[in-house]
Amino acid sequence: MKHCAIDVKNLQKVFTTRIGFWSRKTKTTMAVEDISFQVQEGELFGLLGPNGAGKTTTVKILSTILLPTAGSVSVLGMDVVSDTRAVRERIGFTFGGARGLYGRLSGRDNLRYFAELYGLEPALSRQRIPELLELVGLAGRSGDRVETYSSGMQQRLHLARALLHDPELVYLDEPTVGIDPVGARELRRTIKGLVACGKTVLLTTHYMAEAEELCDRIAIIDKGRLMALDTPAALKKRITGDTLFEIEMKAEDLPALQGQLDSLNGRLSLEVTDSYPNKKVSIRTAQPERVMQLLSPFLSEQRIQGLEVHPHTLEDVYVSIVQGESS
Amino acid sequence: MNARWLRLFWRQVDVQLRIRTFDPYSLLLFFLQPAIFSGVGMVLSRAAGQAQPDLVYTVIGGGMLGMWSGLVFTSTFDITRDRRDGTLELIVASPTSLAMVEAVRTFTNVVAGLASMAAAVAAAVFLFDYPLASVDLPGALVSLGMIVFGMWSIGVFLANFPVWSRITGSYVEFLEIPVALVCGFMYPIGILPGWMQAISTAIPIRWALEALDTALLGTGGIEYYLRQWGMALALSLLFWGLAHWLGLKIHDRIRVSGEMSAI
Repeated sequence: MKHCAIDVKNLQKVFTTRIGFWSRKTKTTMAVEDISFQVQEGELFGLLGPNGAGKTTTVKILSTILLPTAGSVSVLGMDVVSDTRAVRERIGFTFGGARGLYGRLSGRDNLRYFAELYGLEPALSRQRIPELLELVGLAGRSGDRVETYSSGMQQRLHLARALLHDPELVYLDEPTVGIDPVGARELRRTIKGLVACGKTVLLTTHYMAEAEELCDRIAIIDKGRLMALDTPAALKKRITGDTLFEIEMKAEDLPALQGQLDSLNGRLSLEVTDSYPNKKVSIRTAQPERVMQLLSPFLSEQRIQGLEVHPHTLEDVYVSIVQGESS
Repeated sequence: MNARWLRLFWRQVDVQLRIRTFDPYSLLLFFLQPAIFSGVGMVLSRAAGQAQPDLVYTVIGGGMLGMWSGLVFTSTFDITRDRRDGTLELIVASPTSLAMVEAVRTFTNVVAGLASMAAAVAAAVFLFDYPLASVDLPGALVSLGMIVFGMWSIGVFLANFPVWSRITGSYVEFLEIPVALVCGFMYPIGILPGWMQAISTAIPIRWALEALDTALLGTGGIEYYLRQWGMALALSLLFWGLAHWLGLKIHDRIRVSGEMSAI
């Protein structure tokens, strides 16, 4: 039976800043207003939201870097406020971007330093550091100063640092920011490997395709509030908009297709354009399964030269939720 | 101190030496600035008709200034750099306390600052032929140890302020010259007004430095040394206590304010 790795209840975080020299004024910013969610052990959980939504603040509270203003946060059964040190020993985290490393030290020396901060025994440290450098593809450059690394290499070194003490729970805050597509794919493969090893991962990202590919469940937050929480598939079902079919076929087959589509009694929009030597038909419908049925005889008789279906993506869901909120 | 803390200590010293102490800015602080002060003092001594420079106030004073300036600037800049580079959050969120990391860093900075003192003494001996025959060596070494311990305690105390916020951190740097003035780094403390002497009684460096000056002249008795060292030790321990108390307060405060990542 799986246990709850993270339990967040009515989390709130308010930042107070004082401005002015002579007449001091207090300005409050509600970074997290009211967020509750649970993450199960072994789950890869995504936290999505626009800039300033409260993702990083939430991760920093879970990492014990910030204290919550209200609400409770339990990590691996421990309270992040009262069991701070015990929580720190069992979690690993990375924050996006190139910050968080000592540029004048080599990649290996950065890991050695953090290994000491996490109290790794020397023998374990000597074993873990080469393994992790190999895992993140930096074994060949481990002796070079970090300031000579590309941003992608620095991101990968962050991941190695986060995994040094073999934590049960890993927070990855925008881990693929600034990484080229090949490097991002490698990193996603590594993240999947972490989950396969039984680790629990909480991932924040701006990349919808990444979240869709990786996450078991996704929470969408905006303006410090939880807007939606479900599996990627279930989230996509929430969208009721049209699916777009783009078909390429010969002009002489067009009347037969239009005849078939008439059975939908106008519950679609149809647009025909020239795509020499054929015609391109664009169909927008809220009944994609029915349209697919009507197209199947044309497909089996090879009267369709090309077919593209554009179903809803997680990005559509995200935009719909975030824009719906702002409007 | 168990093996784990010893390993952490040496790793931190190693990192500190490589990323901070051998930084060109630090080398200027540790060597060039005290060399300028000592050099000007020695030249002025000669111009005033003295065959040899005043060892206590010109030579040792320059070395003291180098140690102190190096400590104030490197200890505040360490935190500023950590905040800017995003490593402050990583240290705070690790199982090792920031206070421990700060203590080792400050120790490294103070010990590295001894290079200033060594350079100043070497200049006095080899450039100005200052004889060291009358120096009470054991008394001087213990007094120097007390200076290191006193500076270390003040450094750890002060390092809390730049952690607290960037603004309070910048105020710490203003302490460089006032502390050097009230502690009489480059002149006898007796020439200062009474209120300045009163302030200096709360600073452990003042007591240890007086003992060092006396040991260099070879004029101190055991009672005198014990009083000076006792005051230096007691005040240093007081600063350690204050540093610990402030460190706990600030650890919670920065987790409320989010100041760790503010750049």
